This record gives sequence, structure tokens and C-alpha cells, in this order.
Amino acid sequence: MKPSLPGVSTDRRSVLRLIGLGTAATLGGGTLAACSKEAGSKGTATKADAIRSVLPTYKPAELLKPDIPGEGPIPDGYLAYPRQLVDAVTEQPGRGGPAIRTMSPWWGPTPPTLGKNSYLAAVNAKLGVDVDPSLQDGTTYADKLNAMLGARDVPDLLSIPNWEVDKIARFSDAAKALFEDLTDHLKGDAAATYPYLASLPTGAWEYSVWGGRLAAVPFPTDGPFGWALFHRKDLLDKAGLAAPTSPEELHELGRKLTDPAKGVWAFGTVFDMVQQFFGCQQIWRKKPGGGLEHKYENPAFAAALEFTAKLFADGLVHPDTVSSKGADEKQLFKSGKIVMYQDGLGAWQGMQSEQTKVLPSFNMQPLPVFGANGGKPLIWGSEKPIFFTFVKKGLGKDRVGELLRVLNWCAAPFGSREFELREYGVEGKHFTRSADGSPALTELGRREMGAQYTHIGGRVPVKVRSADTPNYVQEYLGYYNKNIGLMEKDLFAGIKLELPANWSKLLQPTEDKLRDILRGRRPLSDLEAVKKEFFATGGEEGRAFHEKALADNGR
Amino acid sequence: MSTREAAGVVAAPATDPPAPPRPVTRRRRRLRTRLARDWPLLAMTAPAAALLLVFHYLPTLGNVIAFQDYNPFLGDGPLDAFLGSEWIGFGNFEALFTDPLFWDAVRNTLTITAFQLVFFFPLPILLAILLNSVVSGRVRAFVQSVVYLPHFFSWVLVVTFFVQMLGGAGLLAQELRDAGMQPWNIMTNPDTFIVLVTGEAVWKDLGWGAIVFLAALAAIDPNLYEAAAADGAGRWRRLWHITLPGLRPVIVLLLIMRLGDALSVGFEQFILQRDAVGRDAAEVLDTFVYYQAIVTQQWGLGAAAGLFKAMVGLALILTANHVAHRLGEQGVYSRS
Repeated sequence: MKPSLPGVSTDRRSVLRLIGLGTAATLGGGTLAACSKEAGSKGTATKADAIRSVLPTYKPAELLKPDIPGEGPIPDGYLAYPRQLVDAVTEQPGRGGPAIRTMSPWWGPTPPTLGKNSYLAAVNAKLGVDVDPSLQDGTTYADKLNAMLGARDVPDLLSIPNWEVDKIARFSDAAKALFEDLTDHLKGDAAATYPYLASLPTGAWEYSVWGGRLAAVPFPTDGPFGWALFHRKDLLDKAGLAAPTSPEELHELGRKLTDPAKGVWAFGTVFDMVQQFFGCQQIWRKKPGGGLEHKYENPAFAAALEFTAKLFADGLVHPDTVSSKGADEKQLFKSGKIVMYQDGLGAWQGMQSEQTKVLPSFNMQPLPVFGANGGKPLIWGSEKPIFFTFVKKGLGKDRVGELLRVLNWCAAPFGSREFELREYGVEGKHFTRSADGSPALTELGRREMGAQYTHIGGRVPVKVRSADTPNYVQEYLGYYNKNIGLMEKDLFAGIKLELPANWSKLLQPTEDKLRDILRGRRPLSDLEAVKKEFFATGGEEGRAFHEKALADNGR
Repeated sequence: MSTREAAGVVAAPATDPPAPPRPVTRRRRRLRTRLARDWPLLAMTAPAAALLLVFHYLPTLGNVIAFQDYNPFLGDGPLDAFLGSEWIGFGNFEALFTDPLFWDAVRNTLTITAFQLVFFFPLPILLAILLNSVVSGRVRAFVQSVVYLPHFFSWVLVVTFFVQMLGGAGLLAQELRDAGMQPWNIMTNPDTFIVLVTGEAVWKDLGWGAIVFLAALAAIDPNLYEAAAADGAGRWRRLWHITLPGLRPVIVLLLIMRLGDALSVGFEQFILQRDAVGRDAAEVLDTFVYYQAIVTQQWGLGAAAGLFKAMVGLALILTANHVAHRLGEQGVYSRS
């Protein structure tokens, strides 16, 4: 043993000094303030008029008259599949360029990749250029996306869901640095070169502008509602139970349906829908006396929180939803282990058609919406496009043209051969034709498609009757037509918001605390403290930012 | 172990060639003869050194963003972004150190590390000694493969497995319900979460952790045991006076390495179970960085947290190593 302290190297001493520095910063709090600045973006808002001047000229391209015409953001419905299809694109989009790498989200099993996928081969042969897609799990899309943007390494075509875009700080900078400016290709009448892109609704294009320039091709929403509370109507009918008309009845229904001994629980995740039943706004609403009110300040939010916390406390929520992050609620719902859960309306047709084959009586329906305490529900929604497709920067004019022609092909409307190939693949291989002429996907079709072209190409949304979901179109459009009047008006429609960093940083910790209340780990009375902290640490900054954005646009 | 190998390579030259007349050429020629002699060794080290350079030392330079309001989208390329981002001194560190959430995360991380040091770290040693005492080679090989296996499962799988077995709708809960009892709340109890994560870690990595100790046990001279037995030492005395001292250098080495990792207790395991028990129990430093820096793209803040973690780790390793030296152990490395 030798005493070695005196012999410590200078290196070690400087390390200790650094650590001391850290401690000083901790203890002193503001001691370092003199030589440091605060990091993070303060947020920006682009005005609505600046956006309007770069949009493509809208030119509808309808091949068939709809049976149920949609109004506003509600898509057109078709009750019969056309016997005669037309060629929508006469000129082959590809000019033999290198393979087009794409990335888009998908919520389901990943299809086989290029070279092992006959659907990709069939469409690529038609395009005259290889599209080489990479599908990423939609629920964890941000993980891949953030790394990709941070490394400035993007594929030729990148599809980003609107809710992910909203979370990305400095997205305008990212758009400018990484993505092609499409303004010159698509502004005004220039869009006529790509007729099916020009047929996408102007309301969707409005959202595709960053920093005053057109930066993406939108994938318009096929219905503006964010969520529906799906329930297994077949199970309710079998038990002789009626749909609830008030929160109390919903709770009572949950009690009747829950039977842990059989492994059945009434609810999966429902909190967002419960808030809507209680008439709570999604984020902001205007106060009567001017200014904005955040939903945490609305008593309806507290009521919704209390109601949902009671569902958890009474053991009516499936334990898998309670105990893990990625509980596969779709799977539990399909197998009848949960009877109600919230999901996007986009989940409806696919699941119904898939499950009809397993259980002919399977019938999923959105629960009719109802209000609480005699009030009206408020349905959250927006006409924001679901996805945006961005083109990689610096590929050259010719290549951008080729990519846009591919997107144009992918946007071909209902009634065209291109639409059929894109949506259903090759007849006899990926789909079979039913007696009424409508295509029904085969097993191979389900496995190989994964919306690999649909999610990148915009397309004008339509709802089409298929043999395995005969009532879907009427039910879907019926739900929308009945409830569209209850939809919350988007205060910020057409204004491009990039939120301040202090605000974005605040969301997760606050949600964590609210989740603690929901799950009964904190008492309900903690909501007051959570609210106070929220507004003190960035909530007020967010309010001021949003109020200013409205004032600047004269709203 | 890699440290020792590396030391071996550096310490390779042994004999000097005979001294030539002039100093300048002597040095040059010495270098040349050494190159001529050692080039196979150098060639063998080159790929590893290159990997280290490209994937460890080069990215280390990126740590400068801890002192910047880093905007990855500035300029024409990543280098421009590094050069163009605004320098904000210790702004990121200040934001970090004044954030109570950060200290919550640090506290949780250290608690879990301490808990696992006591309740997890010794278990592989016990397992290794147990396995070593099994005479039948077949039984030993079988048990080893079974306990190694979970190490190769991802955390998603491990957590799912635990949920399916012990969760509210899992096997155990259903059995208890069938027997007319109330199921226990195992997966969603914040108070016992630390036991749960340690249990999961033990299940996953116990066998894997035992490998090193088994190797160390194999290196103990069997003559020692025979001599001790001949002198009348019983099973426990042999364990205490031969086995454990034989293992001590390895135990100390691994303990020091673990201390250096004190601020990392894993990421997936915690992010997966965070909603189930809440942030207060499950927020560790890595998940804090994920939510506050990666998700919100505050790269500078994330780098600052990483730098802080590395500094603490380095300090702990140096301190532990120093203590080990004073106790007469070899430690991770020693200065010659």
C-alpha cells in the first residue's frame, strides 16, 4: 500500500474542478447567468395572407359522380364500384432515375421490402422507376424522424404526420435546410402539370407552407374528427345493452361489461373522448371577455378527469392499458377483451373488413356522442392534412419533376386504373373481385401493401363500399354528417404556428402529472397545483404566444 | 480486460538495437527497425483504433453543442450547423441544474443504482460459485444455457413477458381470481417499482453476469483446494479463504466499472413502464433526457446532460480506482 493522493495528476484535479463548477451552478442557481444565455426557440407564426399567395390553383378532377356527395371536409361516398375504369395518367412518370427512397408511417405489420414484394414490383413497373419504401411504426415515428432530421439525412420522399411536425422545434429551418422548395413547381397555374396534385383541396395546401414557401404535398384528411370512441356493437347487442346517452350511463355500462374472471374489461384508453363528451376544448378557446382560455382552466376538463379517474379506480380499464406503454388495444378490442376504446376513424374500415373474416358477426361502431349534465359535446377536429410529403433538397430540377410525377400518379382519383392498382394491387393476386365488382383484398394483398404509395401521394379522399364492409360508407358518412355541427372551430386555421421551446418542453411533464391523477397515484385535488405550475413555467408564455398570433391575423 | 490487452500492446518493445553513431539517424533507424519488427501487431490494432477514432473520439467533438443553442438546420451541412450555432456559455447547464425534474431523475437513478448494487451485483457471483460446484458437466451446461438465454431478449419482450405473467390480466392474476382471491398489484405499484425493475434485471442478466466470474473461478489453482482440504479446511473455509480471494480482483474490477455507470440504469425498461407507475417512480436520467431534450429537439440540453453524466462517471471511476489501489487491489488500471 502506498499513499497516492499527493501524486494525483493535474488531469484529475481539473476534472474535480469541473465537477465543482457544476455543483456551484447547482447551488448558486444564477451564478453562471452572467456568462450564459437561455437556449431554445421562441416560436414563430406565419400569417394567413402570406400563405395564400403561393398555393396551387385548385382544379377538381372527378371521374365519377359520388352517390353521397361530401360537404366541406367530409369525403365523397360511393356505394358501387365502377365496372369501367379509365387511365388517369397517360405518360409514364418515371424517366429511369435511380430508385426513389421513401419513408412513411404505418400502423401494422411491416410489409416485405423491395425485391421481395410483388405489389411493389407491380406498381413500380407501371411507374417506370423503382420506389423503395421504408415503413416505420407510426406510434414511434418521432424517434426515427428526430434522429434523421438532426443528422440531416433524409430520403428522397419523406412523409411526416401533422402531429409530429407540430412537435418539431424550428421546423421552418429544417424545411429550408433539408427539403426542396416546391413553390416554383406548383404555385398557381404551374400546378396544371400535375393535375391530380392540383385537385387536392386548397384547405389542405394551406397547411403545407413553411416560411412563406410551399414545402410539401399534403395528404388531405378523410374526415376532420381526431377520435371516435369505438365499441363492439355485436357484444352490446348480445348482452342486450343499449348505447349510453350520458356519462353516468357510460359508467354503468362499463360496470356491466367488465368481467375480470372472463378476462373482459369495458375500457381501453378513453380520456380524449371523455373530454369531448364533457364539452372541453382541445387546447384553447376564446374567453367571452377577450383572450384565450386553456382547457386546464375549463371546469369541464376537471369533470372529465374526475370521471376517467373513477373508471380507473373502479377497475373498469383493462390492466394492460394500465400497466404498459404500448398496450395493443387494437388486438384486445378485436378479441373482445376490451369493449370500448378510442381510435382514429381511419382504423374503422380496415379492422372491420379484416375481422369479418374471423368472426362474421363482428361489428365495430363509433359510440354515438352525448353531452354531460345537459350540455353539448364538443368534437375535436381539424382540416389539417394527416401527412405531409417532403422532397429532399438539392436533387436537381429534373429529378424533382420525376418525383412530383410519381406523387401525381399516386394521387390519381377513384375510378381510375391507377387508383385500383394503388389501393388494391393486382387482380387475382392481391385482390379478388366480388360479385358486385368491388375488390376484396387477399391475404397476400394485406401483407404486402401497407399504404406504401397512398401515404405519400396525397389523393382526394373518398369512401368506397366494399363487399366485406357493405354498410361502412353510409355509417361513416352518417356519423360525420350527424356530428359535424358539434365540431370545434379551429381558431388557428390557416396560420402556421411553431411553438416556443418552453411550451413544448412543458407538455410531457404536465401530461405525466395528469396521468398520475388519472391512475389514482395523486389525489384529484392536485389538479390545482398542476395547473398553477403549468402556467408559471411556460403556460403563460404559450398563452401570450397564441393570443399574439390571433391578434396579428385580426381574429 | 481490454484495458489490459491494450496495455500489453503499448508495453511491447523490449530490447533496443545496438547504438548507432549519430543521434538523429539513430532515432530514425530505431523507429524504422521497431516498425519492421512490430508491424504485424500495429496492423492488428489498426482496425480497432480506427473504429475507436471514428465512432468514439470523432463524435466526442460534437459535445461542443452543450455550450451552444444548437440548431441542426443552419448552413449547408452539419459542420456549418456546429460553426453557426450561437454560443451560450453554460446556458444549457444552468437550465439543467435549475430544473427540479432533472434532480428528481438523478435521485431516482442513484437510488436504483444503489439498490441494484446491493441486491443485484452479488447474485451473479453466487450463481457462478453454485454452478462451479456442480460436478456433472451436462447439468451445468444445461443450467448455464437456460440462465444465459434471457440476456438475448430485448426489453420490450421482457416487460411484455412480465406483464403477461404478473400483470392485472396476466396468468398469476387470473389464477388468483379463479381461486377466489384478489390479485396483487405488482406491475403498477410505484412503491415497489424498484424491486420490480431489479427483479426484471436479475431475470434477464443474472446468467450473463455470471460468465466472467465462472472464468475467474476456473483460473483458481485446484491444488489450493486440495492442500486446504488436506489441512482440514471445510467447505465454508475453502470458500472464504480460497474462492472469494481468487475472485476478488474481478469483483473489484466489475464494481468499479459499474460505479462508472452509476448514472445509467437502462432506458427501454423505464420508458416502457413509465406510464404504469408514473414519472415520480420511473423517471431516470436517460428518460429525462429523452423527453426534455430529444423529443423537444433541445440537442444542446441533451448534450449537457450527457456531459454531466460522463463527468460524474469519470469521477466515480477515478475515485473507486484510487480506493481500490489503497486497499491493495489492482483496480481497472494502474499508472506505471
